Amino acid sequence: MTTVPVAAPVGLQAAAVQHPETAHVGHRRNKPLAVVSYLLMLVVVVIYAYPLLFLINTALKSNTEFLVNPTGLVQSPQLANFASAWRQGNFGAYVLNSVLYTFVAAGLGTVMSLLVGFPVARGYVKHPRVWQGLFAGMLFLPNTLVTVFQLALRLGLYDTALGYILIMASGVGVGPLLVTGYLSSIPREIDEAAAMDGAGYLRYLFTFLPKLMAPVLSTVFILQAIGVWNDIILATILFPDQTKWPVTLGLFAFKGTYTSQWSLLSAATLIVAAPLLVAYLFLQRYLVASVVGGAVKG
Amino acid sequence: MRNYIVFGRRSTAQLTFALGIALVVVFSLVPAVGILVISFTDIRSLPYLATHWVGLQNYQTFFSSAQLAYNLSALRNTFVFAIAVTIFQNLLALLIAVLLNQRLRGRNFARAVVFLPTILGVTVIGLIFSLIFNPSAGPAARVWAAFGASSAFFGDPKLAMTLVIFVQVWSGIGVAVVIYLAGLQAIPSELYEVANIDGATAWQRLRFVTIPLLAPSVTANTLLCIIGSLQSYQLIYVLTGPINPATQVLSLAIFTQGFGGPQGGTVQSQGYAAAISIVQFIIVAIVSLAALAYLRRRETSL
Repeated sequence: MTTVPVAAPVGLQAAAVQHPETAHVGHRRNKPLAVVSYLLMLVVVVIYAYPLLFLINTALKSNTEFLVNPTGLVQSPQLANFASAWRQGNFGAYVLNSVLYTFVAAGLGTVMSLLVGFPVARGYVKHPRVWQGLFAGMLFLPNTLVTVFQLALRLGLYDTALGYILIMASGVGVGPLLVTGYLSSIPREIDEAAAMDGAGYLRYLFTFLPKLMAPVLSTVFILQAIGVWNDIILATILFPDQTKWPVTLGLFAFKGTYTSQWSLLSAATLIVAAPLLVAYLFLQRYLVASVVGGAVKG
Repeated sequence: MRNYIVFGRRSTAQLTFALGIALVVVFSLVPAVGILVISFTDIRSLPYLATHWVGLQNYQTFFSSAQLAYNLSALRNTFVFAIAVTIFQNLLALLIAVLLNQRLRGRNFARAVVFLPTILGVTVIGLIFSLIFNPSAGPAARVWAAFGASSAFFGDPKLAMTLVIFVQVWSGIGVAVVIYLAGLQAIPSELYEVANIDGATAWQRLRFVTIPLLAPSVTANTLLCIIGSLQSYQLIYVLTGPINPATQVLSLAIFTQGFGGPQGGTVQSQGYAAAISIVQFIIVAIVSLAALAYLRRRETSL
């Protein structure tokens, strides 16, 4: 079987790429295909990397250099752009707001997913099937912008950080479903053993389970955190008060003010993107797994 | 299912469960049901104004001659956007997945780069592409100029929708690629070996092994894309603003009618925006159920 070039479940044209030196009838025909594949991959990478690199390039230019040479490679890099953008856009305050909203809302949402998912998965509450159906149904709801706004207004939560956090946290999406799904792989006997050793329900929920369920809980957290960090619409309708804005809204307003100062604007965009880029660099595997896991469940 | 609780009293479990459910019910389910209720009222964004039942009036307004042209155009834009994004995103994602599933050096880097926009968020992506398509000095303007042309890009009503579709596909394709990659890796290698023994060409392997076995991933990706693109408006909002008629889609109309922007949102009825939400919800439900039924039938026939 080893002479058959397709040894792994790879798609079209894979044969020659995998064993380029194998003497095979298809060899001569497939070698150019490998070159084509590399060229295509290069095209894909350029299409995705170029916009980001161009952003960095622009962010480093002085205003004069941008006016003279808007698209060329930067000649004298200006790191001062970042300082001015940070100061003029008041990004320090916005970043702090975003960090607060993201961690509290995603943390709360994760705890909620666990609180409701665990007893439903184990049948510790009545009608687990009905609740399970409700979790799934919650993924297909109409656009609730108007009622969320009215609710916040009437509960006195309009223009408050608490209101925004509660609304963001309650958007648990696939969280409870992911939790119940994962729990089917954790035997009930572990619950029983912990209970025999005298662990109470809450202690089990908050000290034992998080260790057993770390992958799925981090997925739920990351998924929700990305959603909160990148939100712009709910923040727009709930926060007339600029001092409570998250960084996305701060950036959007900055664009309105400094319309044609592209270097400054690019520096500001990079400031907002930086935490995400750093997180992606270190947590790429988890981020990809989270987003895709969340999407497929939905 | 064994329904006894192992942790002594049941009340702790029930209490904490109720607490979690209460938050979800208050801030997610009540608003969802409330949308239907307030679509029959003239509720406004100022709390001290009286609210009245107006029956079906908001729905009549939606189809009234004064609004019909605007709404039909929003509806048309919604479908153009959703269909184009679904087709291009799926086709390109499939091609990229097949490409990046080969043993190529640097394929992991390529996969990571393609997935990156998924986490960047609409504001950052919107600004990046405003910069690229900056009509006076952007790189796209350079390319246009090389052909002796110029364009307002997002400001050009003929081009705006195409560009918005492009940016949406660019930023959303990562998830689809990863789903297709997972699908490709689940295909047993023996099938390709057998196909090779039978003398199948590369195209035949793709057509008779890869595509039929990838059908569940196609279903998942197509549905995700249809549901997502029928409801998405955040990127359009960031790229072309809330009231650009060329890119006005139904879900953006909900935002514009409900929260006005320059049209004076405070005096306007949010009941009308709620009615648009319901119209949109019905459209999404019908289209996605129809698509699901069709894709499932096709999966078995491939």
